Amino acid sequence: MILIVNTTSDHSVTEELKEQTDSKGIKAEIIETDSMHISHCIGCNYCWLKTPGECSIKDDYEIILKKIIHADQMWIISDTALGFLDHKGKNIYDRILPIATMYLKFKGDQMRHVPRYESRTDVGIIYKGEPDAEYLKRWNERAALNFESRSLGVFKTDEIKEAVSCMC
Amino acid sequence: MHVLIINGSPRVKAFSNTDKILEQFTKGMAENGTTFEQYEVSDKKQWDAMRKAFAENNNILIALPLYVECIPGLLIEFLETVEKKADDTRLAFILQGGFAEGIQLRCGEEYLKILTERLGCTYAGTLVKGDNFSIRFFEGEKRDKVTAPYAAMGRRYAQDGGFDSEECRKFTGPEVFPAPVRLLVGFMFKTLAKKGFRSMATGWGCTKPLDYKPYM
Repeated sequence: MILIVNTTSDHSVTEELKEQTDSKGIKAEIIETDSMHISHCIGCNYCWLKTPGECSIKDDYEIILKKIIHADQMWIISDTALGFLDHKGKNIYDRILPIATMYLKFKGDQMRHVPRYESRTDVGIIYKGEPDAEYLKRWNERAALNFESRSLGVFKTDEIKEAVSCMC
Repeated sequence: MHVLIINGSPRVKAFSNTDKILEQFTKGMAENGTTFEQYEVSDKKQWDAMRKAFAENNNILIALPLYVECIPGLLIEFLETVEKKADDTRLAFILQGGFAEGIQLRCGEEYLKILTERLGCTYAGTLVKGDNFSIRFFEGEKRDKVTAPYAAMGRRYAQDGGFDSEECRKFTGPEVFPAPVRLLVGFMFKTLAKKGFRSMATGWGCTKPLDYKPYM
């Protein structure tokens, strides 16, 4: 399953994505977060040490979290600010911590948290605005390490066809 | 010199590792008469005052924990609301994280240069160091052992107005651990560290295994 999380208030992007994924027979689930309440991560570490796997913030992020662990891919649609994802897009990544455990291991030559679940979710970004695109690409590759997965790439909203070609 | 310090951690001040680092850092920094004012991004009631201070100061230091390879969402949310500067403000950073190797923080450090430019400031360097996860779990001497080295970096910052010195670069420690150390530490992760984490969790009232899968 392909999970698409739209953190912008522009639904035209998801409408186009729906059209294109439907026409290709790709099973995609779209979540619009503009009507949801999603807080930032407060770094309490409860999801690792007090209520393993569960976030202490009881808001709509739980809906997304439950879907991520069953998704082969997650695509974040985000506005940008200060050369990067805006806070709404970044919050979706920051709140991912419950899919990792407190336990540590070495992956290659670097420390990583041991994943909580067997499944892996690759991550991609579709962005609006003018970020530092080269950096965003590099960052998403690095961010994917937190999912123990790979980056699907970083695309502008006028490159939706290219993004959809990576959805399979 | 007067410095505006922003603690960019979303965690409340009482439990903020970044705050404990700043305690030591500012102790060293203030020795030569450098003054400072400090705000916490975790407290939205301070945001109006922080915004005003950001506009008025030209020596700014943002201390932050690494959140998913970059800056925390809450700090982005605050910075989205500040006016781009057009003076000669020098912006420096203390970037800290849990993983011990320097390489873990480099992607975040790279963004801080982009951020500085987008905010219309001059980049005055980033003090990079990991291995800080345990600060909140320690008290007294044990905590000081982790945070006290930051006092020397505070002195250095007061002298240079930034972190562009060999001493600051060395402060990071190893970029990656050599293979024999990884073997040893990897073994500890499977034994002693696991036991330690379970004991921390028990102390917090956790009743489930730490690899519990609530959504399966």
